[in-house]
Amino acid sequence: MGVFVFLPLVLPLTAWPIARLAEQHLHPRAAIWLLSAVAGVFAVCSTLCLGLLMVVGTAQLPGNPLPDGWSDPEVREAVPYDEVAGKAAIPALFAVLAACTRLVWRHQRVRRRAERALAGLPATPVAVLPDEVPYAYALPGRRDRVVVSTGMLAGLDSAERRALFAHERTHLARRHHRFLLTVQLAAWANPFLRPLRTAVTYTAERWADEEAAQAVGSRRTVARAIGKSALMSRGAPVATLAGFAATGPVPRRVAALLRPAPAGRIWPPAFTTVGLAAWGAAVGTTASALSSANSAVTLFLILHAATPM
Amino acid sequence: MRDQERGRRRGQGELEAQVLAALREASEPASAAWVQEKLGGALAYTTVITILTRLLAKGAVTREKVGRSFVWTAAADEAGLAALRMRRVLDKESDREAVLASFVTGLSQQDEEMLRELLTRTREAEE
Repeated sequence: MGVFVFLPLVLPLTAWPIARLAEQHLHPRAAIWLLSAVAGVFAVCSTLCLGLLMVVGTAQLPGNPLPDGWSDPEVREAVPYDEVAGKAAIPALFAVLAACTRLVWRHQRVRRRAERALAGLPATPVAVLPDEVPYAYALPGRRDRVVVSTGMLAGLDSAERRALFAHERTHLARRHHRFLLTVQLAAWANPFLRPLRTAVTYTAERWADEEAAQAVGSRRTVARAIGKSALMSRGAPVATLAGFAATGPVPRRVAALLRPAPAGRIWPPAFTTVGLAAWGAAVGTTASALSSANSAVTLFLILHAATPM
Repeated sequence: MRDQERGRRRGQGELEAQVLAALREASEPASAAWVQEKLGGALAYTTVITILTRLLAKGAVTREKVGRSFVWTAAADEAGLAALRMRRVLDKESDREAVLASFVTGLSQQDEEMLRELLTRTREAEE
């Protein structure tokens, strides 16, 4: 089996090209599904691999409750450097589990607190709160709500306000928080998946922008609404090294809205540069996801065969 | 147990809103006993005091000393109270982006310049 057992841990790197291509060239709806699914598969394989490595690493320790068969030489042979790898896998797996638990817990807590903050208000789909600080959020819950401050509304004209509400309603109607949670969990499960988290976060905004543009019938209005609210709520500038700073998500969203609407097709035609690149990246990612799953399953089968019946 | 706890917490948010609503109906600064009576005596006196104190901490009510006790005045309406509570949630959660999809995120200096330029171009195109 050799070093192949470690593949699921590093293969997520191969998803970077597809993340970039999908973000830039696919319709946001297609891109978000594709990237979330890819991130989910890689994260599960990577975590499974860590878990199996941990089993191999700990089965030989005296006094552990795992079956004796799991510490057989044949099993250990399947994993190169089994002692080091197995022992390193223990803290890694616990770190992953702890981080993911913490993320889900915080996720629930913010939702609960925000819902509690709005208790006592009439049950309307939009809650306008008197606050000079401009903000607007989509708050998923038993009763989905858009929360927006008067400070935000004050800076926008009526068409721009409609764009803002349409944007937030898309987040809620399309359940964007589920995609975001998936890729955030994936990013904690394997740090190599972080670019996918960034790509999905951006793509969710793009999707909401596109639907808002359809709802209000003007791409420029949505672009203006985004631009104005970003300038209103900029606050402290984000610390970046100016020389290296890539263009942030907001100007890219505005620029995308000033271009024509993306084609409704799911995938770019194969015989263009973009199409070829997209196919290449897709094939590579699929192959890598398959070998990742293959390694995880093989390791599982080795342990299964060594389990005394 | 968890459900009870959650129910109780959510209840607190609603109680705060009820107490504030009662206080807003008072034509002049009111005592805690007045608020308690206004709410139909469903809450214990100490509970009313607790809730008023919590509202005070949030800046939704003010109080002044009259004789040996306090009288209370509403400083915000229900929406104002919700706004104050929401701000606390947003300020406390450094990673709220993890949960709430915000309309816009932070801008770097370079982003800001580019954005202004894009907006100017939009305006020119419209004129």
